[in-house]
Amino acid sequence: MNPYILTILLFAMGLGTTITFASSHWLLAWMGLEINTLAILPLMCQSHHPRAVEATIKYFLTQATAAAMLLFASITNAWITGQWNLEFMSYSLPTTLVTVALALKIGLAPLHAWMPEVLQGLDLTTGLILSTWQKLAPFYLLLQINPSNTSLLLILGLASTLVGGWGGLNQNQLRKILAYSSIAHLGWMILVLQFFPSLTLLTLLMYFVMTFSLFISFKVNNSTTINSLSMSWSKAPIISSMVPFILLSLGGLPPLSGFMPKWLILQELTKQSLAPLATLAALSALLSLYFYLRISYAMTLTMSPNILLNALPWRLPSNQHTLPLAITTSLTICLLPLTPAIITLLTL
Amino acid sequence: MMYMMYFLLFGLVLGLAAVASNPSPYFAALGLVVVAGIGCGVLIWHGGSFLSLILFLIYLGGMLVVFAYSAALAAEPYPEGWGSWPVLGLMLGYLLGVVSVGTLFSSSMYDESWMVCDEFGEFYFVRGDMEGVATLYSSGGFMLAMGVWVLLVTLFVVLELTRGMSRGTLRAV
Repeated sequence: MNPYILTILLFAMGLGTTITFASSHWLLAWMGLEINTLAILPLMCQSHHPRAVEATIKYFLTQATAAAMLLFASITNAWITGQWNLEFMSYSLPTTLVTVALALKIGLAPLHAWMPEVLQGLDLTTGLILSTWQKLAPFYLLLQINPSNTSLLLILGLASTLVGGWGGLNQNQLRKILAYSSIAHLGWMILVLQFFPSLTLLTLLMYFVMTFSLFISFKVNNSTTINSLSMSWSKAPIISSMVPFILLSLGGLPPLSGFMPKWLILQELTKQSLAPLATLAALSALLSLYFYLRISYAMTLTMSPNILLNALPWRLPSNQHTLPLAITTSLTICLLPLTPAIITLLTL
Repeated sequence: MMYMMYFLLFGLVLGLAAVASNPSPYFAALGLVVVAGIGCGVLIWHGGSFLSLILFLIYLGGMLVVFAYSAALAAEPYPEGWGSWPVLGLMLGYLLGVVSVGTLFSSSMYDESWMVCDEFGEFYFVRGDMEGVATLYSSGGFMLAMGVWVLLVTLFVVLELTRGMSRGTLRAV
């Protein structure tokens, strides 16, 4: 793409999130979300492949529906209460509608159906932007509103963890697995939103770090299926040995840093006397763990039969920028001992 | 006066059902013209005359005309309208749905009215919508600039999406 256009589009994406972050008026928040949606569309259909175009159209339709619902809810709130402030939504109809609209925006179950297909049509970098940056603005809005109904967020959260686990089980396309992993993690974030919002922020940021390292590891291997990961041990052995740790961190196993959000969320849910819900959520994490283990099995723990020639490629220095990968992989693996400091830093 | 409002709102619901039930863009856009026109009428009754004029000029006269030309380029030899039974059935289904939901949620037909007219509690020197536009250009200057920038970005987005003729994102017409 023309570098000037790329600059303008990336600037607009930054601008959209910034406008939403800086807003206390619903119209401005909606405007920021729309700018984000608009600016990512040409990035998504950069390759001009029919599947990418289809993914772009699906993304646009779902995001536009969600933004229209958001606008409808905020206008209803303005009609009832006479003011447009984000934090003072006191009636249940607009608040519920806003929650559902934002759930459609980020891809929570049962409004998740667009996510795997959209991510499948994109290349890994654009998919990464979609999974991380585009979630920031809606989460900011979710953190601001007072939830009207306790069970709505809990149902959305639990459904997302279950759907994210079960949906990813039969996949061998990596981008779809990443989509279902995103759905599951978003479910965990929503579960604790009304009890301890700092944990939502913590889970979001930890998810960004973990999924960034996974996306970039897959990009370095230039692989989009599990099968094509099987020869990465010979091409990039260090990355192949680190990816199981990233995957187990995403699955939430101690002593990796992915355990941190899940542990704290389970603790908070138990404190709110929701222990059965906490048990269900922990069990649903097992489902996700299964397909993370499957990827690490194919990539690192097994050497597939192959001719000797393929096992000894030239290991040329990579042209890709791997410093961010190094940083985020280290953070994904080693951050658990800093839990108290991170909680203090993120206390809202 | 209320009678006029009844007619306008009935036409609005009919037009909305027409937009939703037609698979062909020609008839759906026709329904949209009706809906926008009637919506402008409803808006005038509520005191937004300037906004209604702008809606007519820009929405109907600008955007819908461009949409009509674009839809005409993607020509369909036999567009399906209300003449075919599935579409008519869908239309009647939507109308039935609206009537049933309305009956469900209304306490009675005679106690309270569904129509309102101009609802200002006090007298103003200028109309609300004119004042709003003037405010956008004065104290809302920063947001106006932001809106202008976003429109420019939209232009770039659209140009990028349609660039390339046959090797581009959208099919060449």
